[in-house]
Amino acid sequence: MKPLLYAALAAYVIAAIHYVLAFVNKRRAVERVALLSVGCGFLMHTLAILADWIGDGHYPLFHLHETISFLAWTMVVAYGLALYRYRAQALGVFTLPLVALIVFASSFLRGASNMTPERVTDGSAAWLFPIHTTLLLFAYASFFVAFAASVMYLLQERELKLKTFSAFFHRLPSLSTVDDIGSTAASIGFTLLSLGIMTGILWSSARNGRMWHNDPIEIFAVMTWVLYLTMIHYRTQWRGRKAAWLGVAGFALVVCTFLGALLMGGYHMFG
Amino acid sequence: MSILLVGLNHKTAPVEVRERLAFTDETCATSLQALVDGEVIREGLIVSTCNRVEVLAATGRGQDAEANARVNSFLSDARRVPREVFSPHLYTHADDAAVRHVFRVASSLDSMVVGEPQVIGQVRHAYSVAVEAGTAGRVLHRLVHHALHVSKRVRTETGIAASAVSISYTAVELGRKIFGSLKGATVLLVGAGEMAELAARHLSNAGAARILVANRTHDKAEEVARKFGGAAVDYSNLTEHLGEADIVICSTAADAYVITPEMASAAREARRNRPAFIIDISVPRNVDPSVGKLDNLFVFDVDDLEAVVTSNIREREREAERAELIIESEVMQFQQALRQLDIGPTVGALREKLQAIADAEYERLRPRLGTLTPEQEQAVKALLHSTVKKISHPVIHRMRRSHDTGDEENLQAWREIFGLEKE
Repeated sequence: MKPLLYAALAAYVIAAIHYVLAFVNKRRAVERVALLSVGCGFLMHTLAILADWIGDGHYPLFHLHETISFLAWTMVVAYGLALYRYRAQALGVFTLPLVALIVFASSFLRGASNMTPERVTDGSAAWLFPIHTTLLLFAYASFFVAFAASVMYLLQERELKLKTFSAFFHRLPSLSTVDDIGSTAASIGFTLLSLGIMTGILWSSARNGRMWHNDPIEIFAVMTWVLYLTMIHYRTQWRGRKAAWLGVAGFALVVCTFLGALLMGGYHMFG
Repeated sequence: MSILLVGLNHKTAPVEVRERLAFTDETCATSLQALVDGEVIREGLIVSTCNRVEVLAATGRGQDAEANARVNSFLSDARRVPREVFSPHLYTHADDAAVRHVFRVASSLDSMVVGEPQVIGQVRHAYSVAVEAGTAGRVLHRLVHHALHVSKRVRTETGIAASAVSISYTAVELGRKIFGSLKGATVLLVGAGEMAELAARHLSNAGAARILVANRTHDKAEEVARKFGGAAVDYSNLTEHLGEADIVICSTAADAYVITPEMASAAREARRNRPAFIIDISVPRNVDPSVGKLDNLFVFDVDDLEAVVTSNIREREREAERAELIIESEVMQFQQALRQLDIGPTVGALREKLQAIADAEYERLRPRLGTLTPEQEQAVKALLHSTVKKISHPVIHRMRRSHDTGDEENLQAWREIFGLEKE
């Protein structure tokens, strides 16, 4: 449903602008506007996705425009959870502009006609496919939150070490808070990623007996998985700056996974 | 109604002058009663703190000059100080400028340390003294309440009071930046000194749960620990205790490094890499500067803290510029509210209207009077005017009374009877 998506986009753009203003100006009233618009946008976005699902008759996570719209939606969910748990308003400055951008891109893209959703709905394990994709998108959203927290950590750690504070220093949550957000989000993302990879393997082997296709996306996904495993395993030794850099590196791999699927094609591709 | 402010502050007068003019609460109340005469000075209030002495008065419109003279001689009489001593340091603001000044004072923009919170309490206190003395009426009531509202707006909408401007409080603020909440944090005092204890006191107020004290002389450690309800620990086991502490405050008289990188690394390992905040307020320094290069350890010495304080003061000054904009818009709003309070224009309009009726009737019937000498003409006019005055006097009296008791409804009824526009 395009009108609903446009409405969601408008709300996200308003929210993004107000988050940036609130970050620069530190006004509570502006923050409230931002929060309210995120709520409205999320509602509209959810309805748009549901309407697509009902209208098109397939799970709204197949074509590229559907996938990125869904990704934006999971990012808002992840942001909402982090906000609820940590009251870290500053996260909105990172999240909402990107969400608005992705929804904007999504509203421009059309599904390619040469690919039909039937491609993934054949076989006995077809029900696994939407679970596979949903889990992975939620994993990516978690990794994005971990990335944003890592960036906030590194910015602040640097200023504390150099003892010169920029105007934005006071707007960011404390070091311990962003460290906690980063490690919690990474653990959640890792769990979802593991489950997502597992369901993918099950789906693929039930469909044509192959578990591995040497696809760029598969290689990047495994690299990502190993990286976050390492990060979680060495959590206490590498607490702080090193963990934050791993959070940044991990997210870079996530972006590569996504772009890999987009540009290099292969078995994993978006219609 | 007009507002007048006469006073001096830390910027215009040296302490020798300020202290001679300062009022105590008791002298303030009796002096206020002497100042407010009900005719020229209708309401009065005195803000007297170590940084300022200001007399705020509500006067009738057009009585500014007279009121100013009265306040000046009042200051001289009440404090028995010759005028020449203080008058070069005085500033006088009327109306908009006076309102703006009161708002700036209450918002702590006029303070020595911009953004300090005490001045709000001082303004509130000055008001309650005036209320008890019976010299604060409707105008000052509105003004003070509006000023407190502005002050609150400025504090929440700008960062004027956001950052610490003292070394000991900067320690708390940086601690919060590293740990989030300080609730449950453990603080280790190494050595003791006034500034270290002040910082520990602030940290404890902010929620720090445990205070450990290490000192070369154990008795001294126990003495300091008693003050905070903390525990004295063994100075020779410093590395072990460093491992327990989230925040370390170092201020010994030692001339060698008390905390070395080796000790800090060992402590960090014991803390499983959780961050630690080390404050070194001793000169010469007690913490080897290379400790600060280790990950998750944040070391601040006196100069670092001073630099933070300086940059915070600059940040407050930047924010103060935004506060001035808020104050400008609030001054306009207050003036509007005040105009509604003012009865003067309504009374004037009533008088003019009745006069105009009398004059028109005179002009209409003048031909019937035939030839009159100029004296007779004057007498007829005077007769008309004094009749109008005698009739309108009780009405105006009643209107004033309705106004003074805040009976807007009644006042509006009077306006309607005479067909007057509400200003």
